[in-house]
Amino acid sequence: MPKIIGIDLGTTNSAVSVMKNGELQILENAEGNRTTPSIVALSKGGERLVGLLAKRQSVTNPTNTIFSVKRLIGRKFTDAEVQRDKAWLPYEIRAGATGGVEVKMGDKWFSPEEISGFILSKLKADAEAKLGEKITEAVITVPAYFDDSQRQATKNAGEIAGLKVDRILNEPTAAAFAYGVNKEKNQKIVVYDFGGGTFDVSVLEMGFDAESKEQTVEVRATGGDTHLGGDDFDKKIQEYLVGEYKKQEGIDISKDPLAVQRLKEAAERAKHELSTAVETEINIPYISSDANGPKHFQIKMTRAKLVDLVQEYIDRSIQLTKETVTSPAPKGAGYQLSEIAEVILVGGQTRMPAMQEAVKNLFGKEPHQGINPDEVVALGAGIQAEILSAKAEGRKTEGEVKDILLLDVTPLSLSIETYGGVATPMIPKNTTVPTAKSQVFSTAADNQTSVEVHVLQGERPMAGDNKTLAKFILDGIPPSPRGIPQVEVTFDIDANGILNVSAKDKASGKVQSVKVEASSNLSKEEIEKLKKEAAEHAVEDEKKKALIEARNQAESIVYLAEKSVKDAGDTLPADVKTGVEEKITALKGVKDGEDEAAIKAAIEALSTEIQKIGQAAYNKPNEPQGDSAGNGQPDTTGPKPDQSA
Amino acid sequence: MADEENKENNLPEPTVADLKEQIEEMAAQRDEYLAGWQRSKADFINYKKEEMKKLEDVARYGSEDLIKDLISVMDNFDLALRTLEKAGPVEKGIYLIRTQIDDILKKRGLAKIDLKPGDMFDPAVAEALSEVDAEQPPGAIVQEIEPGYRLHEKVLRPARVIISKDKKIK
Repeated sequence: MPKIIGIDLGTTNSAVSVMKNGELQILENAEGNRTTPSIVALSKGGERLVGLLAKRQSVTNPTNTIFSVKRLIGRKFTDAEVQRDKAWLPYEIRAGATGGVEVKMGDKWFSPEEISGFILSKLKADAEAKLGEKITEAVITVPAYFDDSQRQATKNAGEIAGLKVDRILNEPTAAAFAYGVNKEKNQKIVVYDFGGGTFDVSVLEMGFDAESKEQTVEVRATGGDTHLGGDDFDKKIQEYLVGEYKKQEGIDISKDPLAVQRLKEAAERAKHELSTAVETEINIPYISSDANGPKHFQIKMTRAKLVDLVQEYIDRSIQLTKETVTSPAPKGAGYQLSEIAEVILVGGQTRMPAMQEAVKNLFGKEPHQGINPDEVVALGAGIQAEILSAKAEGRKTEGEVKDILLLDVTPLSLSIETYGGVATPMIPKNTTVPTAKSQVFSTAADNQTSVEVHVLQGERPMAGDNKTLAKFILDGIPPSPRGIPQVEVTFDIDANGILNVSAKDKASGKVQSVKVEASSNLSKEEIEKLKKEAAEHAVEDEKKKALIEARNQAESIVYLAEKSVKDAGDTLPADVKTGVEEKITALKGVKDGEDEAAIKAAIEALSTEIQKIGQAAYNKPNEPQGDSAGNGQPDTTGPKPDQSA
Repeated sequence: MADEENKENNLPEPTVADLKEQIEEMAAQRDEYLAGWQRSKADFINYKKEEMKKLEDVARYGSEDLIKDLISVMDNFDLALRTLEKAGPVEKGIYLIRTQIDDILKKRGLAKIDLKPGDMFDPAVAEALSEVDAEQPPGAIVQEIEPGYRLHEKVLRPARVIISKDKKIK
C-alpha cells in the first residue's frame, strides 16, 4: 500500500514528512531543501513556477506571483481579513461566482484552492521522486482557527493535486504529536507559533474518551496576529543597518541593489548568529564609494541590540499569548497561566533566545525545544499519517511496534580477561541487543593446553576492577607453541539479556560454554556507580593498562629473541649472540617493574639488536636460514595462561 | 503425556475444532512475526542503502556551508580587485592568488553559473532583484549583480540579476 505523507501547508513555507524505515523524516524537495516556499507564479515566459523558482522572480513579477494564499483560502471575498489583505497584496483579487475569492495570475483567475493545489502538486511530485513511489494520500495541517469552509477548501486543494486528504489536522495538535505530549491525559498545553509572517497561539486540552478509549485533543482557544512574524525582524535589522551606515559614512545605500542584497544577507546571517553568540560582526567590504575612494561597512552587533530592535514584537506576542490563555471564553481559554502543563515552540523565529526567555518567564516553565521549529508541524502530520497508514493496513504503527519490540541496550561493556589482567571488550556498552560477537584468541605460553575464559562486566580497563560474571576453562588444546592455537570466543546476548559465552578450540573442535542469566540485572544505581568509577579512574587506569601492554610486549619480544637465538644456533656470530643475550637480560630486569618508559627503552634496544640476527643470516646466503620471526609470534591479546594448567 | 494429564485433571479433551483454532491462531501469529522480521530486515537493508547515499552526499556536499561562506569572500575579493584596477595596474600576483582559490573550489565541485547580459532570465539559476528599461528584450538579463554558483548539480546560490522590463505590459 502506498505511503501517506504529512504536509505542513504553511503561509510562507511548506514541508513534507513521512515515516520511512521506522523513522520519521522530512523529505527534501527537488531543489534539495527541506522547506518549499508556498508561492506560485506565472513567469513572463508563460511558465507556471512553484516554490523557490517562483520566489526568485517575485520581485520583478509581483502581479503574477501568488504568495500567502493561505490567508485567502476558504474565505468570503467580503471577509474583513480578505479586504485587509487585498490592500497590501500585490496581485489582483476579486470576488468569485459563489462569493469566494479569486486571484489573478497572467490572464486567468484562480481560486485559492487551485493555487494551494499547485503547491501541493509540487510537494507531491517531489515526495514521489524522493521516495520512488506514487503518493495518493496525505494528512494536511491547518491553523486551529480555520473554520469548516477553510478546512474544506484545503481538502479541495489536496484533491486538485491528486491527493486524497485523509485528515485535516490542526497545526498545534501536530506540534503536540511531534513532541509526544499527546500521550499524557487531561493536560493543558499551549503552542506558541511564531512563523515568518504570522503569529498563532493555541491552547489545547488533551483528554481521554472512555467510551472509544481514544485520546482527544480539544482546541480551547486560539489567538495571535496574522501580520506579525520573523520577516518583521529581518526588516527591522536591515533598517537599523542602513541607518547606521548613513551615520558612519553619510551615504544612503538603500537605493543600491547590490548593497541592499549584501546587507540583506548580512542581516540574516547576523540574526542567526546571535541565536548562539552574544556578539557578531557585520563586515561588508566595498559596500559603496565616494570621491575619496571605496567605503566599507564594519559594525559590531550585540544580542542586546537585536533584542532592543525587536522587543516590541516579542512583547506583543507575549501579551497576545497571555490574553489567549487567561481571557474568559470566547476570547480566551479562561485558564490560569499556572495551569498550563506544557508549552511548545513552533516557527523558525522561536530560535531566538530572548523569545524563548520571554515565553519561559510568562509560564514559569521551560518550553519544549529540540525539534527543528520549522519542521515540527510537518513531523506531527507525518505521525498522524503513519497512524492512519497503520490502521488501513491493519498493522501496528512504527511507534507502537517500537514499544512492543523495545530493544534493550547493554548498560555496561562485556569483556574477557586477556594476558596481564587486561579486560578486552567484546560487546561495548550501549550496544543494542540481541547481538553476538566472536573473536579469536590464542595462548600466552608454549604447550599451554587449557585457557581460562573470564567473563567481565564494567568499563575499567583492568579485569580486576570489573565485575566477574562467569569463569570457565576450556582444556584439551593440543600442545603447541604460544600464539599458535586458535580459540574462538563468542559472546551472544539474546533479547532477554541472557548472555551465552562459548569458547571453541578450532583445532580440536572442543567447546565449552556458560550461560549468564543476570548480565543486565544491575540496578540503575549500580550501573551509574560503575560508570562513575570508570570515569574517576580513567587516568590511572590508562597508565596501568599502558604498563601492562608494555610488559606484554616485553614478554613477547623476549620470547621472540630467545627463539631466534635458539633457531639460529651455531650459525649466529658470537658477538651478535652476546649482544642479544645482554639486551634480553636487561629487558627481563626491568619488565616486571613499574617504570613503563624503562621497559619501552629496553624493548627498543632489544628489537634493534634482534635485527642483527636477520642481517647475519642474510650475510651467509649458503647457510640454511633460521625460522623467520613471523612464525610463532605470540599474540599479545592471548588469554592469560591458565594457572592450573 | 498430555492425555494423561488431562485425564488426571478431569479437563475435557480438546476437540478437533479447538485444536484447529489454536493452529490457526498460531499460524496467524507466526505470519505476523515473520512479517515483522522481514520488515525489519528490509528496513535495515534499505537503511544501509540510504546511509551509503547519505555518505556520498556528505562527501559531495559536506563542505557546502564552508564553500557558501567562501563565495561571499570571493565576491569581496573581486570587488577589491575592481577598485584597485580603477586606481591603476594591479600586481599580477594578486590575480594568481585569486586563481589559486578558484582552482581549489573548482576541485571541490564548485562552478560559476555562466550568465551574460542578453541571456533570458531563468529562475532555476538566477534571482531577479529588479527590472529596468533597457535595450535587451523583455525578461532578458541586463546586469549581473552577484554571480551564481553550482556545487555539483545543486544551485548553491542563484545569480542575482537585474532584468529588462516588459514593455508590452507597461
